[in-house]
Amino acid sequence: MRVFSVSDLKVRFGRVEAVRGITFDVDAGRTLAIVGESGSGKSAGLLAATGLLPTSASVQGSVLHRGQEILGASPKTLRKIRGAEIGFVFQDPLSNLHPLKTIGEQIGEAMSAHRRIDRSERRERVLALLDDVGIDDPVARLKHYPRHLSGGMRQRVMIAMAIALDPHLIIADEPTTALDVTVQASILDLLKRLQEKHGTALIFVSHDLAVVSDIADDVVVMQNGLVVEKAPAGRIYDSPKHAYTRQLLGAARLAGPRAYAKPAGAEPRSPLLHVRSLGRSFETSRPVLKDVSFVVGKGEILGLVGESGSGKSTIGRIIAGLDRPDAGTVTLRGEEYAKPGTAGLKADIRRAIQVIFQDPYASLNPRRTVEAILADPFIIAGERDRAKIADRVRQLVSDVELPEDILGRLPSQLSGGQRQRIAIARSIALRPSLIVADEAVSALDITTQAKIVALLGDLRDRLGISFLFISHDLGVVGELCDRVAVLEKGHIVETGPTRRIFEHPEHDYTKRLLAAVPGRKRQPADRSQKAVSYAG
Amino acid sequence: MLAEGIAAISGQRKDTVSSPTLLQILWRERSVRIGAGIVFLVLLAALSAPLVALALGHGPTDQFQETALDEMGLPVGPSAAFPLGADGNGRDVLVRTLYGAQVSLLVGIPATTIAMLIGTLVGTVSGFFAGRIDRVVSQGIDVALSFPFVVTALSLLSLNRGGTGQPIIPPLLVVILVISLFSWTYFARLTRGLVLQLRTSPMVEASVTIGASKTRIIRLDILPNILPTVLVYWAVQLPANIVAEATLSFLGVGIQAPLPSWGNMIAEAQRTSLYQDQPWFLAGPGLALFLTVVGFNTLSSGLRTVLDPHQRSA
Repeated sequence: MRVFSVSDLKVRFGRVEAVRGITFDVDAGRTLAIVGESGSGKSAGLLAATGLLPTSASVQGSVLHRGQEILGASPKTLRKIRGAEIGFVFQDPLSNLHPLKTIGEQIGEAMSAHRRIDRSERRERVLALLDDVGIDDPVARLKHYPRHLSGGMRQRVMIAMAIALDPHLIIADEPTTALDVTVQASILDLLKRLQEKHGTALIFVSHDLAVVSDIADDVVVMQNGLVVEKAPAGRIYDSPKHAYTRQLLGAARLAGPRAYAKPAGAEPRSPLLHVRSLGRSFETSRPVLKDVSFVVGKGEILGLVGESGSGKSTIGRIIAGLDRPDAGTVTLRGEEYAKPGTAGLKADIRRAIQVIFQDPYASLNPRRTVEAILADPFIIAGERDRAKIADRVRQLVSDVELPEDILGRLPSQLSGGQRQRIAIARSIALRPSLIVADEAVSALDITTQAKIVALLGDLRDRLGISFLFISHDLGVVGELCDRVAVLEKGHIVETGPTRRIFEHPEHDYTKRLLAAVPGRKRQPADRSQKAVSYAG
Repeated sequence: MLAEGIAAISGQRKDTVSSPTLLQILWRERSVRIGAGIVFLVLLAALSAPLVALALGHGPTDQFQETALDEMGLPVGPSAAFPLGADGNGRDVLVRTLYGAQVSLLVGIPATTIAMLIGTLVGTVSGFFAGRIDRVVSQGIDVALSFPFVVTALSLLSLNRGGTGQPIIPPLLVVILVISLFSWTYFARLTRGLVLQLRTSPMVEASVTIGASKTRIIRLDILPNILPTVLVYWAVQLPANIVAEATLSFLGVGIQAPLPSWGNMIAEAQRTSLYQDQPWFLAGPGLALFLTVVGFNTLSSGLRTVLDPHQRSA
């Protein structure tokens, strides 16, 4: 049965045409995935179809919900349909849950907003829902507030609210993007299981074809406000027609890296950085790091993987001198520079270790031009000759493959990928020996991500810079890194060459992480045949 | 998230459309237009005071016992010669009200600016160096805030009397200093919070890793980024300080008669009860004060909406 059908939907924000005529429909019990990068119009289209856009947007076309036209329907009609017949799950459960109401109250509210229901019956139903979405000990959880729950738990609560009234359709907009891989896998399983049980239709919005491959029956690929390809999932993955779909598929990592970094060579690299039994704890909680030791070789890219809260970033911050250890030492080229009680770094060590941060929006000063930002390292290092600085800034810009006319712009006038290139340019300005890249590509769109990863590999080859590449994304790590260290709860459980770790993991935790990587269903038969090498 | 999606969509293609200047964006905000209009009127009034005085032939302190007071000695109401009537001493209420605008701005603007400079300095030091310095400074701010304004101001101002009862330092200067002494704390608290937040931001940490000194970080990363918020707060604090001046003058310790100030004009109208016969005696300065405060408040809330959306709810 056709549950939801959108035809020729157009959305404009003032002069900007965000959605330029899209058509798709979804049947009961089926999952439709809408895939595209940020700005492709996928979210705007769905918001418009469900009447959730502000009135300043102009919307045209037709949206049928179970045969009834809902585009232009009265707010009252729409309210009745939303929640009761269409359930929503969004990306960030924390900002969509009320911080001062208990889980039980919020789910109960979702029900009584639409139906008269007496107290004891409501309580029974809420408990059944919590059980349904896989929350243990539902009776105790009823009284908990959102802040008591982990990200995955909160998303389960959001799902419970979405299905509270047995909707015909669930719209899930990037529901797993903010979650760790293992949690993501369990949420995808949950959505699939609920759908099979209740025969609900599901629209799943995502930027990642790998995530979608585990759940979708049909896939709609969007670019610049248009649907470029629409087909059953099998066809999309096996014989994509449109060039953009192929590009997205090329960037998606179906079950891990598309290709491993080229073998680092048999000869051991000479060690550059020694981390010895590092420990760190903050006042209130359990220790963040326990006895962490590893070595980064000269010109080596070491991947540091683990879930959020595992202490990855703390290690990076200690190495970069932004935090100090409670125990253990860090040594660069034989010089011990971080140990308990030290603060700040000597100038030569400071210059030798640079950082690339996750969010290129937050790490660049919004009030200074690219030129001023890139001239900074040279000025601070004591260079006074303006012409020389200008030359070196231009060299930096070409090193990170940006055009020179970018120099006069402010960070707000750049795309995310361009900003991250500027941050990279700044970090290589003084030719450091080690760069700590903390989730440096996680905030970027998938095609941009691939280009930045290629750039980092290239910089290592040309300039011989070592990297500590911190990431939760095993696919990226596999493609870029020579060796990988796996961190669980502040402790390194396994270290080894990338290929060995990915193909023959020894520790249970590593095995679990790898098993959770999305796209298992459509794993390419022979990975080594895919001739993509980002390190080469 | 969905909302971010929309922002990304509309943000991404902004560059292709010619982006409006800051002034155009500000002007689109209704409260900025209204507030700026009223503030412009107030400035115009202050500047036109000598011209109006010249045109009417009435100086701000000239007394016209013959024409402005009737046979009972009561002030006349509005007429062609005295557009807002006269006060109990036969002076022109309109001319005095316009001169009062000058005094209000002459006290309010420097007092707020001094407070902003002191507060930003103290707040930046306190927020940036955190730790012990911050604890001491925060305690200091709390102590400064615990002094009641009116009582302290009254005692400070009465100390400013020589043996003959004449002020030692010009009272205008003392009023400015007393007001800034009380309003720097608000700037310090605001700046401290902003700096505390920025201090641990990736932007500052990125500067630390390329070896930037503390002064360089404060000068290039911190100050330019907190400046819009602080300037908006200047506009928020200004009307409060204008009211503070009026309060002190009303109590007789601010601007001294015969120099006109809205505060001492209101006090005089109230003390002599002459507003019962000549309501404009009270309404002139009262409405002027009201309009000024409304104007600056509307303008600053509009500026805040545009320049500083994060602070809107604060």
